[in-house]
Order: sequence, then C-alpha cells, then structure tokens
Amino acid sequence: MSEHAVGVATDMAVMALLALSAYLLLLVGRISFGQQAFFGIGAYASALASAVAQWPLVAALAAGTLAGALASLLVAWPMLRLSGLHYAVATLAFAEMLRIALSAWVWQPGGTGPAGVEGFRDIRWLLENDVSAGAYLALVAAVLVTVLAALAWLERRRLGTALRGIGHDDTLAAAQGLPVARLRLVAAGAAGALAALGGGLYAHRATYIEPALFDPMLGVHAVGYALIGGLGSALGPLLGVALDLGLLEATRAFAGWRMVVFGGLVALFLRWRPRGLLDEPLVHRIGRAVATWRRLAPAAPRAEAAG
Amino acid sequence: MVTELLQRTLDGALDGAGYALVGLGLTLSFGTLKRLNLAYGAVAMLAAYVGAWLHARHGVPGWAVALVLVGAATVLGLYVEWLCFAGARAGTAEAMRGGAPVAGADAREVVALAASFAVWMQLEQLAHHLLPRELNAFPALASDGEWALDALVLRPDRALLALLALALCLGLARWLETSRGGLAWRAAASQRTAAQLAGVEVARVQRIGFAAACGLSGLAAFAVLAMDGQVTPMFGMWVLVKGLVAAMLGGLGSMRGVLAGGLLLGMVEANAQAAFGALGREFATWALLLAVLLAPWRRVGFNRMPAHV
Repeated sequence: MSEHAVGVATDMAVMALLALSAYLLLLVGRISFGQQAFFGIGAYASALASAVAQWPLVAALAAGTLAGALASLLVAWPMLRLSGLHYAVATLAFAEMLRIALSAWVWQPGGTGPAGVEGFRDIRWLLENDVSAGAYLALVAAVLVTVLAALAWLERRRLGTALRGIGHDDTLAAAQGLPVARLRLVAAGAAGALAALGGGLYAHRATYIEPALFDPMLGVHAVGYALIGGLGSALGPLLGVALDLGLLEATRAFAGWRMVVFGGLVALFLRWRPRGLLDEPLVHRIGRAVATWRRLAPAAPRAEAAG
Repeated sequence: MVTELLQRTLDGALDGAGYALVGLGLTLSFGTLKRLNLAYGAVAMLAAYVGAWLHARHGVPGWAVALVLVGAATVLGLYVEWLCFAGARAGTAEAMRGGAPVAGADAREVVALAASFAVWMQLEQLAHHLLPRELNAFPALASDGEWALDALVLRPDRALLALLALALCLGLARWLETSRGGLAWRAAASQRTAAQLAGVEVARVQRIGFAAACGLSGLAAFAVLAMDGQVTPMFGMWVLVKGLVAAMLGGLGSMRGVLAGGLLLGMVEANAQAAFGALGREFATWALLLAVLLAPWRRVGFNRMPAHV
C-alpha cells in the first residue's frame, strides 16, 4: 500500500468510529450534532496522557475513551427530556461551547500541552516509539473490527433489541416496561466512548490537534455517514464513510464539485430511502438469503445425485 | 460607566435586530412545516453571491441587487423544499389515515435535517464556484452620520435596519393573525388534517409559506450585507447560527418571539464581548441557547405551537 492509501485508510477507520457513535444515538431515536465534542475530548485527554503525563499509548487511549464516556453521560443526563430537534440543537450548543472553551485553554506544564487556538502540538508517541504508519493502521483497524464485533454481538442480545425498540417508538417501549431514560443514557455513554476513542486515535496519528478541527461540520458529517450508509446494521456507517472518503474524496474525480454532486445525491437518496442504503428490511432480507443459501448449499449435491 | 453600559446595550440591540431579521424566515419556515431547514443560511448566502456577482461584474445597482436577492432566494427555497421537505408534506396523507407520528425524533424529522444539510453543502460549494475569493464587494448603503442623544450615539442606517426588522416581524405576526391567508397558514400549521378537511389546500399553503420564508432570508441578507459592504464565505453559517438562536430563544415558529429573541441575543452578546472578549461573545451565544433549552421552567415559547404568532 502506498503512503497515501495507508493515510486514507486510517482516516476512514477513525471517521468510522465517529460515524458509529452517531449511529448508536440514531438507533435510540436521537440525532446529535455534537459528537465532535467527544471526539475532541478523547483527542485532548489522550494527548495529555501520552504527551504530558508520558503514559503508554494504550493507557492514554483508554483514559481518553473513559473521559469521553463520562462527559457524554454528564451531558446526556440533563438533556433526557428534550425532544428530537431540541436535543439536536442542545448537543450542538454544548459542542460549540466546548470548542470555544478549548480555544481559550492554555496549559503547558513541561513545554507541551494545549495552547488555545494555537492547538496542541508534539503528540509524538508514535515517532518516539518508532511505530510505522502501516503498524498504526493495523492497530486502528483492529480497534474498529473489535468495536464492530461488539456491536454485532449487542444486536443479538436483548439490550440491542431494546435500544432499537426505543428508537422506533419510545412510548411503546416504555409501556413494555423498558427503562427508556436509562437505556438512552447507556447509548449516550457508549456513543461518547466510541467518539473519544476515534479522537484519541486521530490525535496520535496527526501529532497536532486544534479546537477548530472539532467544528460542527465534523459531527454533521458523522451523522450523514450513518444516515447514508444505513441504520439497519453497524456496517451501514462504514459504507457511508467508504462512499464519501473512499470513493468521492480519494479518487478526486469530482474535485471542486464533490459537494455539489454528493449533496444532491444524498438529498435525492434520502427521499426514497430514509433509513439509508443498508436499512432494516434490506439487512433482514440479506440475513434470510444467507440462511436459505446455507440450508440449500449442502442439499444441492444431493439433489444432483438424485437427479 | 452607566452611559457605556447603555451604549453597549443599545448597539447590541441594533445588532440583535439584524439577528431577528435573519431569524424571521427560519422561524416562518419552521412554523410552516415543523421542520428545521438547515439549508436556510446557504440559500441566503448563494442568493447574496449571485447579487454580489451581478454587482461586481455587470455593475447592477443596489436596488436591483435587492430584488435579485429576494428572487434568487425564493427560487432556491422552492428547490430546497422540493428536494428535502416534500416528505414532510407527504406526512399529511399519513396523518389522514390516522397514523400517529412516532414520538421523539421521528424518522422524517431526521431525514429532513440530513437532507437539508446535504443541500447546504451543495449550495455553499456552488457559491464558492461563483465567487472564489474570501472577500467580495457588496453594494454598500451604510452612512457615516450619527445621531447624538445626550451621551448616546445612534447611527441612522442601523436604526433603519432595526426599524425594518421591527416592522417585518410585527407586521407578519399581525397579518398571520388577522388576514384570511394568515388563517389558512395557521390552520395548515397547527392541524393539517383538519385544515385539509376544511378546504385549505395544505400543500400549496405550505409551499408558498416556505418559499416566502426563503424570500425573506434574501431580503434580510441584503439588509445586513449592505451595512458591511462585503460578503464572505462565512455568511451562510452566520445566518443559520444567529437566526437559529434568535428563533429558538423566542420559540421556533413565533414571529414576535424571534424579534424578542434576536434583541436579547444581541444585548447579551454585546455585554459578554465587553466582559470576556470575542471568544466570550461566541460562548455567550451558545450558553444562552443551552440555558433556555435546559431551563427547568418552560415558559419560553419553544413548547408552544406556532398558532401563537
């Protein structure tokens, strides 16, 4: 793989984590325009841990993830009673307040650390420990695969069904005895953790982060990826990221007109497929087709023999 | 000291009138469809770019640019409505069949948000292709004159802008309350099914309301930009954010509310800037919005239905 391809692949995996965090909230019927805040919290917290406190990478990433999850829980708690649109705007307001606060935050013990709008330079763990871009891509990919496996496992548990139930109709879910508020908090905490994990991975690859990176465009793209790719399965957000970053940006065929083409396509698309490419009926149909094929595949030779 | 505070608050209120002006179209389109149009700022920006392009390349005079802005914004509004919000109107048929809307973020709301966001990106890039520079000249109508009242000073051009905002917000609210067309609009907004049964052409009223809201954004964009004499690529975002905060403070869908919300926002921002600088001003915008959204008392209008204009 060329250096450019490794870079694009790493970016795609990091964005996929952010898109998955938006996806988790969409599953419980919430649209958040503020997931970039937890991406930023994860980036700053893990960068502080590795560059200032000199922790090893894995511990720093874990600290960032934990910080993101806690922050997300604290933010989601007072917002529980807000309805869809108000929730979306409130998350955006929080994210912008965080971005502005980070722009004013200067704290550099030992020469490195956040310097307001100047950003946080020299997050050099990868360079100091001779981790190649390819090896880092392997780490990021492993993280992403683990997260996807965990989500796939969750979908088959009662918790996964309950989360989807809340997203479908929260009144009905409450009438069935599901603790709607608590489950939404769980989803928000997990979404914050995923976004923060993505942020930590991003910060260490880029070696430099600044508050302006965590602007509303980032969070809205994450929501866009989840919606385009589809809400039927955790692979949906990945598909969305692949379509935008992999196909449109990387090929540069639409240079300059990318958003004109892509924006129009997305809007047209959403008119006919409001829950994305991989929506629930399609995922169900694929699952059934696979099951049928599995049942028939061993039978085929026998039928041949009989014929 | 007191004079300074008063002067600052007065300047803030005048800025706030601009916020109310850009928020008016947003609150009208929300009242019409119960959907937030994220492409609102981009529509105003692309219309302003078309106007600035005509002004710079072909020397079109200021009054014609104002007409172009309103016309372009209306046409773009029809495009956005067709692409993103036709699904919201299809909801009428669903409501007539007796299907209850799903509580929380219903699927159509999410879809309309996402689709209008995509169109926002599209329109913004089109504007960028039209005029790729960071700063673009716009017909300037600002004057240097000042009116002094004791120690307070007031610029007449900005006072005129505030008067325009006041007249438009109050006039529109009054029109919606007293006229036949306004009655049809309110009926379509608050009870689609009942309005349709009573003979209101809901789809038509909604399309007109939405296009008129976008036309208003063109007028607001002209008034605000003519004060600065220039337009930058940040304008779309500025219109959306300031308009949204003003509209939400006053209760989305309320015409008098957006006026009050805009004035409040302007005054809070001006004083926050004096106390904490430019970052403090930005922070105060969002903090005010979040505080209103999370306030335990819910007297501020965002709970109310837009039947209360």
